[in-house]
Amino acid sequence: MEILGVFGSIDQAVGAVDKLLDAGFEETRITTLSSVPIPEGALIDSGYRRRFHRWTLAGGVLGAILGFSLAAGTAWLYPVQTGDKPIIAIFPVGIVTYEMTMLLAIIGTLLGMLWEMGLPDIERHAYDSELADGLIGILVCTDQEESRQHAAELLTAAGALRLRTDEVPE
Amino acid sequence: MSTSAEAVRNAVRQNAEMLSSMERPRWRWYLLAFLLGAVVAFGLYAFTVQVTTGMVVTGINRPVMWGMYIINFVFWVGLSHSGTMVSAILRLSHAGWRRPILRGAEAMTVFSITVGGLFPLIHLGRNWVFYYMLPYPTQYGLWPNFRSPLLWDMMAINTYIIGSSIFLYVGMLPDLALVRDRSSSWKRLVFAALALGWRGTAQQWRAFAKASTMLAALIIPVAVSVHSIVAWDFAVTLVPGWHSTIFAPYFVIGAITSGVAVVITLMIIIRKAFRLEEYLTPLHFDNMGKLLLAVTLLWSYFYFADVLTTWYGHEPIEWEVFSFMASKYGVLLLIMLLGNTLLPIPLLCIKKVRRSIPAMLGITLMVNVAMFTERFLIIVPSLSHKNIPFVWGSYFPSWVELAITAAAFAGFALLYTLFSRFFPIVAVTDVREQTELLKAEHQLGRTRLDTLVEEE
Repeated sequence: MEILGVFGSIDQAVGAVDKLLDAGFEETRITTLSSVPIPEGALIDSGYRRRFHRWTLAGGVLGAILGFSLAAGTAWLYPVQTGDKPIIAIFPVGIVTYEMTMLLAIIGTLLGMLWEMGLPDIERHAYDSELADGLIGILVCTDQEESRQHAAELLTAAGALRLRTDEVPE
Repeated sequence: MSTSAEAVRNAVRQNAEMLSSMERPRWRWYLLAFLLGAVVAFGLYAFTVQVTTGMVVTGINRPVMWGMYIINFVFWVGLSHSGTMVSAILRLSHAGWRRPILRGAEAMTVFSITVGGLFPLIHLGRNWVFYYMLPYPTQYGLWPNFRSPLLWDMMAINTYIIGSSIFLYVGMLPDLALVRDRSSSWKRLVFAALALGWRGTAQQWRAFAKASTMLAALIIPVAVSVHSIVAWDFAVTLVPGWHSTIFAPYFVIGAITSGVAVVITLMIIIRKAFRLEEYLTPLHFDNMGKLLLAVTLLWSYFYFADVLTTWYGHEPIEWEVFSFMASKYGVLLLIMLLGNTLLPIPLLCIKKVRRSIPAMLGITLMVNVAMFTERFLIIVPSLSHKNIPFVWGSYFPSWVELAITAAAFAGFALLYTLFSRFFPIVAVTDVREQTELLKAEHQLGRTRLDTLVEEE
């Protein structure tokens, strides 16, 4: 369950976060929504730890294996003899391996980033389109309806312009 | 409360200004798109003539087997260099003034590498069997020769096209969500699909920042490899004038020179067309002018170093090619030296010139005319006077090649025009991050300084 409070400024949003933390809401259950990146710690500490570099590394290793197999394996299985040149030549194999390594490392980074962001996301979430116009959202995730009601009261008290939930409107 | 209302008003205004290119276009936009489309259509007609008649309709001959198509290939791949590379370098170095430039530069890369990548296919002849180049099991028994630099080209260009497109898309993700939130009906559905459900949570922004940096670090070596490989297409042959160890870095620098020049040209056009004077200021042109000056100096150094060793060694065939170029293509040589070295270097040293938009437009166009000429001078004189004198020859492009060249320029412009109509041409959230959160005034003694904060 999600409840979103929409605020007109960072200062108001800070007040809301303080109230939520004082009331015992865990910081890991609170996040900000904004159309520009708010520096870490200005509102909340997101506790973000980069993990997608493993995807980059995995992509790179896979790319290196595929690139080497493509260049060296193909040349070995289907040799094209040209003059006295070696069938498996180190520089061409190196170049093809390098390009495949970089290509899959880039694709791995993209996939890792999307995985970390939780995208693509087609589920219904608490959101407000006017966040695009510079408003700041404070989003609280709760497990119980009572907690959500409590968070809504705190957000309203902190000066939220409006509240949004992830429930389908009746 | 008034401060927050003012901040919101400011954000709304900036969104509207930077997304103004996506509003319903005026008749002039349609006219431009139609004219560019007409040139592309004529180029397609010329290509159809080539496919149905054969390569005989081109000017290429024995010994000049590479002509306008390969000149175009080198030129467009070169152009593609700087967009993503400049963007990546500026991102990694946290250059605060980079923000309004990024999107236009990244889009330029994707479109120019797309145009450039078509030319080897156009040049092939019997274009309908282009897929023979792909490394896949085939009953024809035609296996790709991985020792051929042409295959390295295919690998490198495909990597760069995919990598640059990913770099452009990732950079656009928050802006796509912003457009989604400000749109309605079908446009909202399209941008909702493209934005993948981005909401701008703190975690998403952190991952976005880290991934952008990682991609920037990955794309730079790819960019360098692409033009190095294009250079090795030439340098690994024993053709006089090409077989040089310096060719790869020389090509890379030449590519960055032409790319930086085109980025500046496009900045000027975008600034005028979409009234973005507030975001693309003389400071941006000043800084990009300094960058252009640096790469122009480097290009001149590499050219001098290459010619010096040729002149000093005076190897007969090498000198023959150079003499032939200087005599038969003396005017082109002069255009290249004037446009790449003798005029831009002194002019770009002057701050007033770097901050003058018309002057920068003139200089950047001149640099690119000179760079196109340089591509011609690399290819044609060397092939005309190779090692066997009884097959020396010359080359002049046919109408088919010229029409396809014109279509390439028009196609690039058309893609860019369409992109700027349907997507945010300025990195809105990047610029707003700076103006809303990171820019501040700092009182120092009796003066107030504009300061910019950057997260480490």
